[in-house]
Amino acid sequence: MTEKTNNGRQNIYKPAIMKIVDKRDEAPGVKTLRLEFLDPLDHEMFRLHYRTGMFGLYGIFGEGESTFCVASPETRKEYIECTFRQSGRVTSSLANSEIGDLVTYRGPYGNRFPIEEFYGKNLLFIAGGIALPPTRSVIWSCLDQREKFGKVTIVYGARTVADLVYKHELEEWQNRSDIDLVLTVDPGGESPDWQHHVGFVPTVLEEAAPSPDNCIAVLCGPPIMIKFTLISLRKLGFQEENVYTTLENRMKCGVGKCGRCNVGSVYICKEGPVFTAAEVSKMPQSDL
Amino acid sequence: MIQILLRDKLDDCITRWHAAGYDVIGPQKNNNVTRFAPVEKASELDLEIILTDRTVKELFFPQTEPMFRYRIGKQAIDTEEYLPPGRKRIIFGSRPCDASAMAIDDPLFGWDFKDTYWFQRRNETVMVTIACTESDDFCMCTSLKLAPDSPLGSDIMLRPVAGGKGWHVELLSERGREAFDRIEALLDDSAAEKEPIANVPKRFDLDVCREWLADPENFESHFWKEISIRCIGCGTCTFLCPTCHCFDFQDEGDTYSGIRRKNWDSCSFALFTMHTSGHNPRSTQSSRWRQRIMHKFNYFPGKFSMNSCSGCGRCSRQCPVDMGITETLQEITKTAK
Repeated sequence: MTEKTNNGRQNIYKPAIMKIVDKRDEAPGVKTLRLEFLDPLDHEMFRLHYRTGMFGLYGIFGEGESTFCVASPETRKEYIECTFRQSGRVTSSLANSEIGDLVTYRGPYGNRFPIEEFYGKNLLFIAGGIALPPTRSVIWSCLDQREKFGKVTIVYGARTVADLVYKHELEEWQNRSDIDLVLTVDPGGESPDWQHHVGFVPTVLEEAAPSPDNCIAVLCGPPIMIKFTLISLRKLGFQEENVYTTLENRMKCGVGKCGRCNVGSVYICKEGPVFTAAEVSKMPQSDL
Repeated sequence: MIQILLRDKLDDCITRWHAAGYDVIGPQKNNNVTRFAPVEKASELDLEIILTDRTVKELFFPQTEPMFRYRIGKQAIDTEEYLPPGRKRIIFGSRPCDASAMAIDDPLFGWDFKDTYWFQRRNETVMVTIACTESDDFCMCTSLKLAPDSPLGSDIMLRPVAGGKGWHVELLSERGREAFDRIEALLDDSAAEKEPIANVPKRFDLDVCREWLADPENFESHFWKEISIRCIGCGTCTFLCPTCHCFDFQDEGDTYSGIRRKNWDSCSFALFTMHTSGHNPRSTQSSRWRQRIMHKFNYFPGKFSMNSCSGCGRCSRQCPVDMGITETLQEITKTAK
């Protein structure tokens, strides 16, 4: 088997083993794990193949594997960070693991954000709730080479103040003069000392009114937020070709064989998870 | 020169293949189910049946197979791989529809990432196929633009000769060369009339169906609800389908040691696509049946230029509520015209 086609593995279903080197609580039920490869060869393959937007299958033997994005950027390949909500068997088991424990990883799989095509452009990142992790991977990939991009605006909202993830990074972005950070929580989700917006992401976005000129938007969030935010982006004058998003579906193999993640003819695991809004609107909407 | 394998030479033939290191696997009847299993002598073979109940798929992609044994320690996780045994095999007496189905699934298991379990077995297996001279009411290979003697996926083709005394032997691929050479001395070069292949009538118009399926408007058609209303979601059609390839991984054991297995799964099952959140993109039986038909006749051909169906008809033959691909495509043919 060639390295190029199988990520250097003879058996594509055999996971790499990774060690948890850091663990953070982000929000109620949401955790971030920082993982390091045990086998230098696995690490080398990851370095070779990983680009922002790609995903992995994280697991615990005895429980199974779960699919989520690589939340760390392509500019930092020493480790993998993943952020997930504890909801099923695998994520509960991962959430209960401690620093020093071993987990399994397969990937990176899927396509990527074409970051080179964003050079010289303004960037607008919009995320809702637990969808900041995939966006954050792109954000840091761009911030780590900040000089290549124009204005950077980040609009991030969650249901409540407690549900905002990466709070330490939000603070860091807040303090940078080269980023416009717009934070919001849903009405009723604010705390007494909340200094930022109260309102849904689409409304707050329209108020912030970023210019569509020479601008790429990256939008990740729950389906209902995406739906209404796309309407707002259209109102602001954004073309669907300039709006990027990620899709997710249940997966087992991650490599286009197990048959479950397709939306219409499009396999999210191979042709995605990154799509432009124009591509998504061509898919059969009732299959999403 | 016509080369004939006489029926009474079949035992010699199997002996020679065994001597050359091949396992010989053929159709057998066991507990009223016909399927492919290893044979020692010709009398164990059931060559009269038109089509086995079970497909040859399970010889390449077993219903369940262990992939790894894992043992979890504090400092390391030890994984021991179970790979296919690596023995040369001859599948004797598969039908063209089953042999074609294996070739149809090759690109799927090989696009970009290669599935070792599938390809190791494919590479070590010689398909000796018998062309069909009989068919039943469910056979539909001709509707799929295949035929009762399609060479696709076969390494050696046998065509029955008149009077049932044997088969005309034709080598089709390099992979079949060694198996052919081993038995060449047994072949009889007497002239014999080949029996005509089965006459399988066309049951639907594939081009019309594919055109209808390609129209995005029909994705939302009420047709899907009507055609699938009887479907009980049992998955029989997918398990008996030679081209259906969907699978699941399951761990048997605990978080200290156990086995990760690859198991057949089915797009008929609601859990197949259910998210942890409870959201299910294919939440109804009709959306799941639509997926099955669209996958076979629109998505798969769009990617691999072949229909994901070889026309064996098992889906209709064995469906407990009398629906299947044939009925659906017949209805589409009617609707579209």
